[in-house]
Amino acid sequence: MTQFDWKELIVHNPMLIEITRFRRRYFTFTGANSVGGVVLGLILICYATLVLIVVENRNSISPIALITFQTGLLCLFAPMTLYQSIAGERERRSWDLLLAAPITKSQIVVGKFMGAIAALGIAVGMLQVPVLIAASSYEKSDWRNVVMADAVSVTFLMCVCSLTLLFSARVKRGLMALGATLGSLMTVLVVIPSIIGVGSSDRHGSDVSLFLHPFYVLNRIGEVDEYYSRARLMSPSGATVLSYGSSPSDSYVQAFWWGWPQAFTYLGLAIVLLGWAANTLNFAENEVKFLPQGHKDA
Amino acid sequence: MLEVRNLRKEYGGLTAVQGISFNLHPGDIFGFIGSNGAGKTTTIRMLATLLEPTAGTAVLNDSDIRIDPMGVRRMIGYMPDFFGLYDDVKVWEYLDFFAAIYRVPNRQRADVIDSVLELTNLTLKKDAFVQSLSRGMQQRLCLARCLVHDPALLLLDEPASGLDPRARAELKELIAELGRMGKIVIVSSHILPELADFCNTVGIIERGELLAFGPVSKIVGEMQPHRVLAIQVLRDVEAVVRQVANMPHVISAAAVSEGDVRVEFSGDIEAQVEFLAALVAKGATVATFREDSADLEDVFLKLTTGALN
Repeated sequence: MTQFDWKELIVHNPMLIEITRFRRRYFTFTGANSVGGVVLGLILICYATLVLIVVENRNSISPIALITFQTGLLCLFAPMTLYQSIAGERERRSWDLLLAAPITKSQIVVGKFMGAIAALGIAVGMLQVPVLIAASSYEKSDWRNVVMADAVSVTFLMCVCSLTLLFSARVKRGLMALGATLGSLMTVLVVIPSIIGVGSSDRHGSDVSLFLHPFYVLNRIGEVDEYYSRARLMSPSGATVLSYGSSPSDSYVQAFWWGWPQAFTYLGLAIVLLGWAANTLNFAENEVKFLPQGHKDA
Repeated sequence: MLEVRNLRKEYGGLTAVQGISFNLHPGDIFGFIGSNGAGKTTTIRMLATLLEPTAGTAVLNDSDIRIDPMGVRRMIGYMPDFFGLYDDVKVWEYLDFFAAIYRVPNRQRADVIDSVLELTNLTLKKDAFVQSLSRGMQQRLCLARCLVHDPALLLLDEPASGLDPRARAELKELIAELGRMGKIVIVSSHILPELADFCNTVGIIERGELLAFGPVSKIVGEMQPHRVLAIQVLRDVEAVVRQVANMPHVISAAAVSEGDVRVEFSGDIEAQVEFLAALVAKGATVATFREDSADLEDVFLKLTTGALN
């Protein structure tokens, strides 16, 4: 991809108006949608409560546990933010206006993605406040593990956004995209791990089969963090008795395999899904809806 | 210039547009007339590069819709029969978004937006949210969107549908102004008298076939080569019909209802004056006398059968 292409996609992409739309929809009280203002108010109250709880219990709440909570929360929030992005254009019938305009399909997909990432970025940024409070006061945490857990969380979130966009590009109704995304997440994060859990009772088997499961990964990072911190505490002089990256004795997979490998895998997967979504837009969706009723292809 | 060459669209075994051809020049306002399902929207969507033609092509200012669709898109303003507006954006943001898509330079955008808002009479609504506009204003905003990049060709699919009479009149004036600005405008509509008012060229399409194409007066003239005179007499209708049938330039004469006579007349306006004078001189009790000229609606009804694809 040339520098020109990158600029067209990232810097001069007209679809970046999505950032304004997301901001107005989710982060203002004065937008056109008053319901959005009420929801935002409730979210801010919940957020303030969370911050207060963390401040009150700052010595006993692990920052990685908070990042796990953030991942779960945003896994639900991301599909709800994006499910209408392309399917909604079709429902609103603004899709034709984009297709008839000199804009590439990649620009459309990347613009939608960046709009959602900007909105979710604000949410992630806000959630970093309690994480930072917990990380600065929770003795057992290593900053490197917190950053790594955050990277896993954010890249998985990007993956979820790409998946939602892909579904939104492939279906005609936004709610179908939402259902398909949540169903896929439920299958990948809950159903399959449950089946694997029944099949393999030992940790070694789980380490391998759930290697890409974000919550399992975050749990393992948390365990490594605790283990490493305990070892550090056992050596009051400050001498490290374990080298960074070593792992608890019951772990089959070495500690350095938890965190960054998954983060990079999620990032790669997000890019692949985005590419797939852009490619999906090439099929002649518009021709389908103009087939007359009763026609064999309708 | 727009050249449409044997444009054809098939869906499976069904032919929606059967190889239509026509040419339009800058300043032409082309009224595309047809029943629902006749192929108007399919044709417009092919010209808008939204549908790929099965055969044939169209060339706009040397850009072929099949070879250079992106180039064509930069030169067209497409207004479908629905608004497709975004919520959560203001009027100026919506126009700025499309100006950015059409690569209107940043420093010119504010001026361009102001001028299209002025042209469409929406200046006062510049900072309003799009969804807060009335239907007529949304329609005008759609038209403003089509104009931000100064397109050579405007494709307006049923632009007047759902508008109140005032909004229709304003839209009509606006389209006429666009024609005067040298743009090619293609308008599809069911409201034939309105089209006849401001279109200088019309095309009648049925079952995907272009039945007639050309200036309104030419099409009407072809459809009705002779003058038709409607005469109302007070008494002796049958006697008047007999008298008229033997007069110069009269092709046929018939009593159409009590007191009404319909005359097909091949003479010019001078002959028509003489004909009336002679008729009165012969003692016919003429109450009213007028030329019954056909309009676009008559031509449309005469040419089409109402059959759908």
